[in-house]
Amino acid sequence: MVILKKIFPQYRQAQLKIQQMAFVLLAITLFFVLAGMFALMFLTSGLKNSATALEEKNALLIVTKLANSPEFSCGGAYGSDRVNCVDADKVMVLSQKMDIYSEFWGLKDIEVRKVYPEESLVICTFSNYPNCNSIKIKSSTDNNISGKYLENFVTLCKKKQENGVVYDNCDIAKLLVSYNEK
Amino acid sequence: MKRLNSKGFEMSFTWIFAIVVGISIFIFTFILVSKIMNTGNIASDAKVAKEISILFNPLETGFEEGKTSSFTLASNSRIINNCNTNGNFGRQIISTSQFTLGKWSTANVEVGSLNKYIFSNDVTEGKKFYIFAKPFKFPFKVTDLIYITSASDKYCFINSPENIENELSNLNQANIFVENCSNDNDKILVCFSGSGCDINVRYSNEAGSVLKNGETVYFETDALMYAAIFSNSELYECQVKRLMKRLDLLSQIYIDKVGFSSDSCDSNLNPTLIQLQAYASSAESSGELEQIKTLSKNIDELNDYARCSLW
Repeated sequence: MVILKKIFPQYRQAQLKIQQMAFVLLAITLFFVLAGMFALMFLTSGLKNSATALEEKNALLIVTKLANSPEFSCGGAYGSDRVNCVDADKVMVLSQKMDIYSEFWGLKDIEVRKVYPEESLVICTFSNYPNCNSIKIKSSTDNNISGKYLENFVTLCKKKQENGVVYDNCDIAKLLVSYNEK
Repeated sequence: MKRLNSKGFEMSFTWIFAIVVGISIFIFTFILVSKIMNTGNIASDAKVAKEISILFNPLETGFEEGKTSSFTLASNSRIINNCNTNGNFGRQIISTSQFTLGKWSTANVEVGSLNKYIFSNDVTEGKKFYIFAKPFKFPFKVTDLIYITSASDKYCFINSPENIENELSNLNQANIFVENCSNDNDKILVCFSGSGCDINVRYSNEAGSVLKNGETVYFETDALMYAAIFSNSELYECQVKRLMKRLDLLSQIYIDKVGFSSDSCDSNLNPTLIQLQAYASSAESSGELEQIKTLSKNIDELNDYARCSLW
């Protein structure tokens, strides 16, 4: 190397130029890589927000129509056809089938809660039903539905018998749903 | 760079190095930008597919018989409709491809849904789409069937029975015609008598068969007839199997409901419901719908006369 520099004095100058250029090129490459990474980050963060917004929109639209889906609806079982009417017996049965229905509506929690008469919360089980006021159809926690949830007023109906007479017993209730945030 | 003579140039190593590295950077940047653009397109396709899937939620009907709506996408798009029968419910799969920068994006992202039953051609292309929903009752409501058609696909129903004609007229969907349309060449002809049309329907008392693209599928109820008309046979059979899976699970809910509410009100429907469940769970094709329909009619009558009706 030393001999080369002695024989060719321009060799040192060329080496310096190559070094300079290498640095410039490295800087340009780094700039593009960083710009690309930034663009990718911007894109993915936007995607995450979009996904959450879409989940919210989905839950909002589902909550208004869920009571009319066949697994919930009274249909014509309580006299005339009723819209936004939830069959209490059916949803009690449904709550036991959440291993099958867990992903069906894409919701985190689903609960039907009587709103009148106002009483302390008693969660329905097969042993205390119908002397309770909240049916947890799908529940991600043992506690009350929490986090971001949406609600819709529905009628909660069941057949009751008194002195051999069967009658329809309907209460005002809220259908509560929560969704997964991305 | 040094000029040697009139014929050529001598290139120093510095120049060669700069050109090689410059080209490498250019290629790298080009690949990076195209990858980012591709990711953006995939994300956009996925978002559109999910939005379409969400859009169908308000179409869930209450007790009304049919509902129509439309949506328009930002660019010319293809809605790719697919279905599988895996798991308890099977899966409705939607993906989209958009026409951007002179080419169709690759429909990589599939949006799945367990609770939707969408009937359309396997690829529906256009900018504006019509969606029409109708409840499927067998004998209780199983779900709402959704039919998607492109605004550019115009359907002409010829010699349709009065009930179908009235329903389609009341729907007022711009790409469905029931009168004076037989002379138009660019329309898809749906004939209820005779043959030689694009789609031939054999219809009698809400049952029959549909012959489309040389393949025959069978239907029971008007909801499934529209499904057979607006979709291809493979998708139709897949969705019918999914519907039977849902019918099976709903039957189980009603069977359990009978047991659960027998103290207050007993209904004697369990033996026939168990039979319905067995038929539904073993159904493999639309050809088996007829026997299930016969049973479902019996169950519906039993339910109507029961002390406490189940649905």
